[in-house]
Amino acid sequence: MQTIEFPFKVSDHEAEKASNSYLMSLIAVIAGLPLPILNLLATVVFYFANRRATYFVRWHCTQALLSQLSLFFINSFGFWWTVSIIFFDETISSNYIAYMIIVLITNFIEFIATIYTAVKTRRGEHVSWWFYGGLTDIICKK
Amino acid sequence: MNKVFLQGLLLIFLFFGGYFLLAQIDWINFFSVNKIKNSSEKKLGDILWSSIKNSEKECYDTEVIKGIDSIVTKICLANGIDKDDIKLHIIKKDVVNAFAMPDGYLVVYTGLIKEADNAEEVAGVIAHEVAHIKLNHVMKKLVKELGLSMIISATTGGSDPQVIKSVIKLLTSSAFDRNMEKEADITGVEYLLKAQINPEALAEFMFKIARTDKVSGYFKWISTHPEGSDRSKYILEYSKLKKPVEFKKVISDKTWALIQERLNEE
Repeated sequence: MQTIEFPFKVSDHEAEKASNSYLMSLIAVIAGLPLPILNLLATVVFYFANRRATYFVRWHCTQALLSQLSLFFINSFGFWWTVSIIFFDETISSNYIAYMIIVLITNFIEFIATIYTAVKTRRGEHVSWWFYGGLTDIICKK
Repeated sequence: MNKVFLQGLLLIFLFFGGYFLLAQIDWINFFSVNKIKNSSEKKLGDILWSSIKNSEKECYDTEVIKGIDSIVTKICLANGIDKDDIKLHIIKKDVVNAFAMPDGYLVVYTGLIKEADNAEEVAGVIAHEVAHIKLNHVMKKLVKELGLSMIISATTGGSDPQVIKSVIKLLTSSAFDRNMEKEADITGVEYLLKAQINPEALAEFMFKIARTDKVSGYFKWISTHPEGSDRSKYILEYSKLKKPVEFKKVISDKTWALIQERLNEE
């Protein structure tokens, strides 16, 4: 993760909106724990609501959405694995516990990164994540 | 573009690599998962059995117990099952029923033994119930029907008599789902074949009792689902797939006659 100079001057209003895109996913984490799709839905709704916003806002909405999208697949798999253990024939195995640990680590890293980015963008600083930042540069056109 | 692609690949590699490394650790032993699971199952089994013991009359006739126990022993020995895992109890009741409970409790009603024409029919039923126990169907059914929280509340501290009652009702009067019943039928047949007991007796017994009115609860349900004829069909088909076995009497005719005599005396 790195803070880089953004090519335009970011207004306070823009910084607030961009920061909110990360906060949306954080708030949804509480509701999204049992159902991972809620996290994704929150960022998708925010993404579409800001499609016509300024480049800075769009860029951060896209980065938040992309990071949530990968987390959605990881968490969904864990969610359905757990459901199949509770309700179906699947049993708790070392593989399951290992997956859950890696899911927990991934979610924790993402959680910290999201808080850090939300705070930084609120101050108008441009934070680009490793991989996700580059991908956002490709998707998000000026 | 290439840089992003490589970063993405590295991220996927890190995720799966981390998972692969973590999966090498024996977490089941590390967290004593099996120990926790077994102790709660044992507790639940003991609570349920003591509740049944208080409300029903247990049969203490040594001849009956010895005879039925030797059937269980024969099935267990032939299939590498630890006999201590199966806790057989016979209840004096003129109802055709037998059911499995958590922690290997196997309850057979005297009504079922009386209704059977030979020891092989009883052996068929026992093999079917032992299969439910060994396939862990009992706990799966309870968790599915009552939920994990209710099971935990039943085993921790002052267990609610109402909860215990509903668990007993569930085990004695409702069946496992269709897949589990079929799985127990097939595994039961396998047990019987290995013990050189004719599995046709199981199919015949189910078919026969489905048409009597002495059957109740769980057994009424399993004797009619799947339909007796369907069950006979797949039991026979499955037996044919296996290499031919020379069937033997599970207990002697004399022992069987003695069991019947003792039960009819009561």
